[in-house]
Amino acid sequence: MQSTSNSDDKADASGSSSETIKIGALLPSSGVYASLGKNLSQGMELYFDEINWEVEGKKIEIINEDSEADPQVSLRKARKMIDQDQVDILTGTVSTAVAYAIRDEVDSKKIPFLVSHAGGNDLTRSQRSDYIWRSSFSSWQIGHSMGEWAYKNVGHKIYVTAADYAFGKEVSAAFKEAYTAAGGEIVGEVYPPLGNNDYSSYLTTIGGAEADAVYAFFAGSDAVRFVQQYEQYGLKEKMPLIGSGWLVSEDLRESQGNAPEGILASTFWDYNINTDENKAFTAAFEKKYGARPTLEALEGYDAARIIAEAAASLGGDVSDPDQVVEAFSNVTFASPRGEFKFDKDTHHVIQDMYITKTQLVNGKTENEVIETIEQVQDPGK
Amino acid sequence: MDMIGAQLVNGLSYGMMLFVITCGLALVFGILGVLNLAHGSLYMIGAYVTYSITVNSAQNFWMALIIAPIVVAILAFIIEMTLLRATYHLGHLSQVLLTFGLAYIFHDIAAIIWGSNVLSVALPPSLAGTTVLFDQSFPTYRLVVIGIGFLLAAGLWYVQEKTRWGAIIRAGLSDKEMISALGVNIKLVFTVVFVIGGFLAGLGGVIAAPVLGLYPIMEFQTLILALVVLVIGGLGSISGTFTAAILIGLVETFSKYLVPELSLFFVYGLMAVVLVVKPNGLLGKKVAA
Amino acid sequence: MKKGIVLTAAVALLMGLAPFFLSLFHLNLFTEILILGIFSLSLNVLVGYTGMVSLGHAAFFGVGAYAAGIAAKEMSPNLLATLPIALIATIMVAAVIGMFCMKVSGFYFLMLTLAFSQMIYSFIHQSTDLTGGSNGLSGIPAPVAGGIDFSNPVLLFYFILGVFFSVYAGLSLLVHSPFGQVLVGIRENETRMRSMGYNTTRYKYASFIIAGALGGLAGSLYTSFNGFISPIDVYWTMSGSVLIMVIIGGAGTMAGPVLGAALIVILETIVSSYTHSWMMIIGIIFIIFVVFFPKGLTGIAQSIMHRMTRSKSGYKENHSKAVLKKNA
Repeated sequence: MQSTSNSDDKADASGSSSETIKIGALLPSSGVYASLGKNLSQGMELYFDEINWEVEGKKIEIINEDSEADPQVSLRKARKMIDQDQVDILTGTVSTAVAYAIRDEVDSKKIPFLVSHAGGNDLTRSQRSDYIWRSSFSSWQIGHSMGEWAYKNVGHKIYVTAADYAFGKEVSAAFKEAYTAAGGEIVGEVYPPLGNNDYSSYLTTIGGAEADAVYAFFAGSDAVRFVQQYEQYGLKEKMPLIGSGWLVSEDLRESQGNAPEGILASTFWDYNINTDENKAFTAAFEKKYGARPTLEALEGYDAARIIAEAAASLGGDVSDPDQVVEAFSNVTFASPRGEFKFDKDTHHVIQDMYITKTQLVNGKTENEVIETIEQVQDPGK
Repeated sequence: MDMIGAQLVNGLSYGMMLFVITCGLALVFGILGVLNLAHGSLYMIGAYVTYSITVNSAQNFWMALIIAPIVVAILAFIIEMTLLRATYHLGHLSQVLLTFGLAYIFHDIAAIIWGSNVLSVALPPSLAGTTVLFDQSFPTYRLVVIGIGFLLAAGLWYVQEKTRWGAIIRAGLSDKEMISALGVNIKLVFTVVFVIGGFLAGLGGVIAAPVLGLYPIMEFQTLILALVVLVIGGLGSISGTFTAAILIGLVETFSKYLVPELSLFFVYGLMAVVLVVKPNGLLGKKVAA
Repeated sequence: MKKGIVLTAAVALLMGLAPFFLSLFHLNLFTEILILGIFSLSLNVLVGYTGMVSLGHAAFFGVGAYAAGIAAKEMSPNLLATLPIALIATIMVAAVIGMFCMKVSGFYFLMLTLAFSQMIYSFIHQSTDLTGGSNGLSGIPAPVAGGIDFSNPVLLFYFILGVFFSVYAGLSLLVHSPFGQVLVGIRENETRMRSMGYNTTRYKYASFIIAGALGGLAGSLYTSFNGFISPIDVYWTMSGSVLIMVIIGGAGTMAGPVLGAALIVILETIVSSYTHSWMMIIGIIFIIFVVFFPKGLTGIAQSIMHRMTRSKSGYKENHSKAVLKKNA
């Protein structure tokens, strides 16, 4: 942990003369989302390593605080980083609820906040702030990108299931919107609680439905259990399973065994994207950490790059929040995920989405990119 | 009709799994009067040890079935001797704090040893297949769990009702002074019961791991579920725990089938109704405070 | 006695001057401690004085917080509106839940309160249109009252400090009143109180509603302070933490729960800044308390005071004896 506490709270408020760029990273290092938080920080550190933790002669310093994925705790930690540590830029939050919780705090104190994971739609819609920019994804992008493609390539009748929390509901709603707009029919829906482990009852229900395929949104342990039990209950042979990238994410597939074979998923990055940028990123990550990067590692890596490039364009002076967010808005680069740029109206990333298919390669599962949906832009309302 | 039959099997299997997870907690609370909030953590250790043993070869599951509960039993022995024994006289509130503190410690120990990724336990081929019942495929292991639950219940019932140890244990519940007057070493009884409770928690970890998997905070989820089963059944009654486990298994399964959006609500609703109608649980004895 | 008043006045003065020597972050932390202090004081009425251990107290915190939040968003952020609405809502909920909970005792009481609070949790979690669901209720406007805008953290601190002192003073009077003595009697031996002719159920019910109402008050202050509330604050882990605050501080004492709240908040904030394994450190501290300081923080303070005063003025009555012993 690189936490330094500034005991003198009346430290130079203008900050322009300070020698470091202080970044507050509010990520979970305990609780259910601990592994996501860890991957995000690893991604950030990897990028800062590459630029020697320095921009225009200014040192980069990360102050880490454990969000515990708890909004109340996170708000306290955000206040600490803003008021006591006097961070210049805030980044992070895995949980959307945490992002909403600190939204008013960063908005009123004018702290540039680069959201590097939390995907709740409203953060760049009704809850939009001048100081909040999101480089990760919105639930709409995840769900919507699969809708039309599934109608054309998978089938015309689909059963929808998703974890019963705001994010799961938003993703599935976006999917249903695009799928029915294309002409598809939703034959049934069921929403198991978040953190549910036994899907037997739901799978029996789903198995009785007359559908061409099942669309599922689950993540983390839910995704492992659902995908495994989907196979165990004999549904894999009956109906193809489609969903989001988290269903078959890089850190889960080993635990899932061969069960995810054949799953079609929509995502904004995959390990097997075949570009030079992605190959360089994955190789560097594996060299440093001895494991494959996950989607979250990429999010951290890109967030670090956005911050560094914005700071560089300001000559290293990040003391004026309005200038910082203006600099954010102009950042574009070739990311491992594809072309990266912000939508200046919504403050949300415009990015390519990918459809992947999970295949068996040498006895292990690999995701293969089979389709690219270019420049998906969140409608912003 | 097939659908209802299939859901019955699901519910029964889930209920039996709950029983295997809860019976250790029920035993310890029933006899020692100790509310062991670290029960979920012992369960978790059992599951993680199973993972470590089976990670390279699924066939090792049989070995884990013996080793993991023993590891947890040893851990329980250490806890009893070093911490619990010294604090029996302090009463429930202190034990709540003590065992909750242990749960916190085990949480981080597990995170340090096994990380915070989501893990799975693979089953040996003989248990990994599927079986067709009511025109539906079921994982064979789910049916095996039903069998294990019944066996365990029968075994516990036999020990408690038909053996000398069982008699001592039952007496220990109702009158601790009398037992020591009879020349039985009550301290030893407590240690043995707590160790058995730990063994059963570890066994629960092994049995449930292939179905429920391993992930951070699994122990707190399991703990709260086990407490619900314990209370609905009534304290100090293994048959109550058994009945409650089946009841919850069925209620939860059918509420997920019929009114999925309210399934969270139903389990606690059931608990509230049972307690309001029968303040000592379904089959519980009145336990002095 | 005189000493006590001097001490209280000194502490009050020091707290009142806090904004002059604390940084903004520490002032906010202090405000949060005061809110959670009210919350744990409210639970202490049940656990410490009446001997009823509840694991569902977050329900009232949540109902108060959400009632205040929804009222502030939909009607008016005026404290004269949000506070009464939150109080009425929690009193109603406590009255209903309490009616059922009076039927059981001991461990079954603990679990029944848990059941009701978990039902309230799932209601809040599922009613997305009303409560924002798992995302929480955000964008709650800062409170105002009588032309004062409480978006200023110092003003809000003074307001919450005022509420805190009122609650603390009110509860101190309550527990020393005949009513409070009956509650303590119930804690020590309910059967005896009943045979003395007291309708103990009615006293317990009243205690339950008072505890619930003050819990709701804490919840509504929390919403005013943070402008945000999420279902996690209604989950059973919240009930668990407040119970731990009461036990660690010292159940059945006035200062204990507040000190417990302060210790837990400070520990969590500081320790988790330095290590990922903060849960382990906090767990170890819990165990140290059980083994070495079973009477909690106030127990430590009392034994120090005891040692100091014994040499001068001899024996002083120890208020909090036997609280920990007799419970469940």
